[in-house]
Amino acid sequence: MGQLNMYWTFTKKAFLRSSVYRFEVWSRTGSNLIFLVMWGSIWTALYAGKEEAAGVSFTAMLTYIVVSKFLDGVNEAGTPLWDIQEKVRTGDISLELMRPFDVPLRYLFADFGSVAFYMLTALLPIYFLLFLFMDLTLPTDGFTWIYFILSAFLGFLIRYCVEMTFGLLTFFLVETGGIEDIFYFAMSLLSGSVIPLWFFPGWLETIALYLPFQSIFFLPISIFIGEINGSQIFTSLGIQFFWLVVCYLILRLVWNRASHKVVVQGG
Amino acid sequence: MAVVKYINLYFKLIGAGVRAQLQYRFAFIMRIIGMLTAYTGTAVTMWVMLYQFQTLGDWNFYEMLFLLALAIVSWGFCIILFFHFRSLDTYILNGTFDRFLVRPINPFFHFMAMKFEVSSLGQFIFSVVVLAWVSVELQIDWTFTKALFLIGAIIGGVLIQGGLLVIISALAFWTTKSEQFYWVAMYPARNLTYYPLMIYPKLLQWVTAFVIPFGFVNYFPSTVILEKETPFFPDAIGYFSPVVGLLFFILSYFIWMQGLKRYKSTGS
Repeated sequence: MGQLNMYWTFTKKAFLRSSVYRFEVWSRTGSNLIFLVMWGSIWTALYAGKEEAAGVSFTAMLTYIVVSKFLDGVNEAGTPLWDIQEKVRTGDISLELMRPFDVPLRYLFADFGSVAFYMLTALLPIYFLLFLFMDLTLPTDGFTWIYFILSAFLGFLIRYCVEMTFGLLTFFLVETGGIEDIFYFAMSLLSGSVIPLWFFPGWLETIALYLPFQSIFFLPISIFIGEINGSQIFTSLGIQFFWLVVCYLILRLVWNRASHKVVVQGG
Repeated sequence: MAVVKYINLYFKLIGAGVRAQLQYRFAFIMRIIGMLTAYTGTAVTMWVMLYQFQTLGDWNFYEMLFLLALAIVSWGFCIILFFHFRSLDTYILNGTFDRFLVRPINPFFHFMAMKFEVSSLGQFIFSVVVLAWVSVELQIDWTFTKALFLIGAIIGGVLIQGGLLVIISALAFWTTKSEQFYWVAMYPARNLTYYPLMIYPKLLQWVTAFVIPFGFVNYFPSTVILEKETPFFPDAIGYFSPVVGLLFFILSYFIWMQGLKRYKSTGS
């Protein structure tokens, strides 16, 4: 219990710290909305007035993009990849190793705080208005909402584990040029954040289905717009849970290796 | 002979900068690989997008690649010359900006010559390969005038994007922030130009044509070279790209100098 209280403190501190950086909130919201307009326009132009494509209605597709940009905002409010890399490069992370807490967990709980602040002050009000004034579809029953929130939360945790793992690779490779670009590419395309997997060529869809990235955007949003329904929902949640366990174990493994490496280098 | 003196000085200053960067050869190569991966990722995303739909607006995959490559080639030059302007805020906050003021040369010039990013090789490899490939696929007939126009368009694109970086850096004189403005405004705006402007809401098209003239970086010139229609705009608008670039850059230079007048050292 005491443990949990300690991590909870990090959440509260991060929440309060975010409230100091107002400009951050404005700027992040600004660029989030630009990307929303961009992808909204692209999909409007791709459908070109057609009611549906590949069995998916235009309204559902537009909802897909709006929810995707919302989740984008949620996921980007946490500690970004370059920040983790910077902490490793400058050696700041070694100071954290001396303290009596688990570093990956501490960052996760801090992220909860900054995400909560960003959601309350920017994302939820803005996207509430968007859903009010745009022609979008909402889940009709309460259970879908619950499954969506659960699925999105699992996706958030998976994204956290993957991003942290990529960040920790800095311990082993001082220069990470290509690595982070692979991460960003996978995050944008293979996760289905801008193009849903059902529009992929068959072979690429198969690849994406066997990777963890689809859990971050594609699965939760598909639940939201009802493309995944009935018993499929539980299969999807099962897949996400499986990937969460795998990604968490990989993160642990890399973290153990990395923290030993610090000792060898002498910090 | 002030101009000759300045040109000589520019090459001396950047020569030192380039030698410094090449000391870290591994980092240099990794950065180029990173750039290539990132842009190839954008191209693959376009390909996947058009796999089912064939066209975006009336632009097919190769035409969109042309649009992307034109944006990236001028951005490559822009990185070399102006990319470090975005971090002017760091110089001001650390007090290291003062050294640009105590030397007997134009501070704008001195700041510009301070750094020469060599890593933009990635941009050039990507855009040259893509432009060559697309020229074959679309059977673009590269006459002398067309090639000259392409060079003019690239120069225009460099001046527009460079000008915007200069304006963003000038904001640091008033707000002591600039790097963040780059990531908020210019990074998303550059992403907008990877796709044909005609798909965006009219207001946004109007802004990118006449307020922040991003349309002249790649969209309008591409419509001229690929002989495509430009809804809402006159067909020949692309020819104005170099002029727009020059005017915009002069404007941004004046804004920067105006900001400089306001500059007070942090004294740290």
